[in-house]
Amino acid sequence: MTADVHTLTGAYALDALPEDERRDFERHLADCEACRREVEEFRATAAHLASAGHEEPPAGLKERVMAEVDTIRQDPPPTVVEMPKRPMTQRLLTVAAVILAIAAIGLGVTVAGLNDRVEELETASAQMAEIMAAPDAETVALETEVGGVAQFVYSRSQGEAVFLAKGLPTLSEDEVYELWLIGADGPVPAGLFRPGERGATSQLLAGGVGSAQAVAVTVEPAGGSDQPTTEPIVVLEVPTA
Amino acid sequence: MSPEPNEQPRLRAIDGGADDRSDEDLLDEVARGSRDAFDQLYDRYGGQVYGVVRKVLRDPARSEEVTQEIFVEIWRTATKFDRERGSASTWIFTMAHRRAIDRVRSVQSSRDRDERIGHENRVRPFDEVSEEVETRLEHRQVRAALDELTDLQREAVELAYYGGYTYREVAELLGSPLGTIKTRIRDGLIRLRDALGVTA
Repeated sequence: MTADVHTLTGAYALDALPEDERRDFERHLADCEACRREVEEFRATAAHLASAGHEEPPAGLKERVMAEVDTIRQDPPPTVVEMPKRPMTQRLLTVAAVILAIAAIGLGVTVAGLNDRVEELETASAQMAEIMAAPDAETVALETEVGGVAQFVYSRSQGEAVFLAKGLPTLSEDEVYELWLIGADGPVPAGLFRPGERGATSQLLAGGVGSAQAVAVTVEPAGGSDQPTTEPIVVLEVPTA
Repeated sequence: MSPEPNEQPRLRAIDGGADDRSDEDLLDEVARGSRDAFDQLYDRYGGQVYGVVRKVLRDPARSEEVTQEIFVEIWRTATKFDRERGSASTWIFTMAHRRAIDRVRSVQSSRDRDERIGHENRVRPFDEVSEEVETRLEHRQVRAALDELTDLQREAVELAYYGGYTYREVAELLGSPLGTIKTRIRDGLIRLRDALGVTA
């Protein structure tokens, strides 16, 4: 990144970056503490600009809003990713050591606007919606190593999970993202995907979660791999009961 | 797992007037499912959210629709509000503005991609935006802070924020190089931040 990129904080905070530049800048934000702080300050400044313009909302709007929220389930709060407590095999320990180190980095990077983007992730099919709406649905979200946000929604009662992401970089034709379920026997392939518009994807995890302790994503050659061949871009721990 | 909803009756002024819960307290209560807190939050923010959405979108019907979406989103995602990371008003307006902009951009992207930026149907003259901002801005403090900016800084910030233009479009409208607009927007925000005493 050139020094020039730092000047985009202003345009970013005002939502004035074209979509592709916005994605690139969010990737930069993940690594730039100074820009994150500045963006937070600018957003607070922009909120003053917004709050200055009061206009009487149309009659009946409040009633419609109140009526609609009566039908809307609230999202579960983000849960904290903790170190696994269960005993692990030597093999998993090796994998886990790598992935937890990466997860720790991910956690340290609390990117401004992470929540905003996570919120926008939830556009999924009916089955996924059912999982996400399950009373025991739990959510884990992290910034990925390559930018964008990954989110994992798990319903223990249904034994199924949905992986959502947004802002993932586009891959070349001969690459694909691969999902992995990581359990006692190491990583097991859990599906391939290519992000769509705005680097977004929503995937039902093939075959449920079983006893997996974490979900990871790697970039693999087109067609996928049986075992990961690259470092995970994100590792999300399956919430324990 | 989740805490009990905090629905304890609170002492209110005899005249039934001001609710002394902070916006942050309200959002936390909304996160725990309090319809009453949400009702209160709407009363505090409904006009301002609608106001900013209207500035960006202009169309009243669409603005109403988007305002409704925003409040439903506030309800749905209040669980993710973290007061350690910013105030309730910043959280709400960041979301509101983003929603309005998403609507602007999605409408644009459904139009002819080749349409030139200078096309008359698409460009709102700066004077129009500026005038509207002028007449609607209620906070003198904000107006005064905007007045402290150079013309180019102020125009760039207002076109980007209230006009809903990308900085590239702003550069086109103002006939300035991209790099200049980028820095003017940032410089303008720095001055506004300092004039308004904003801390993140």
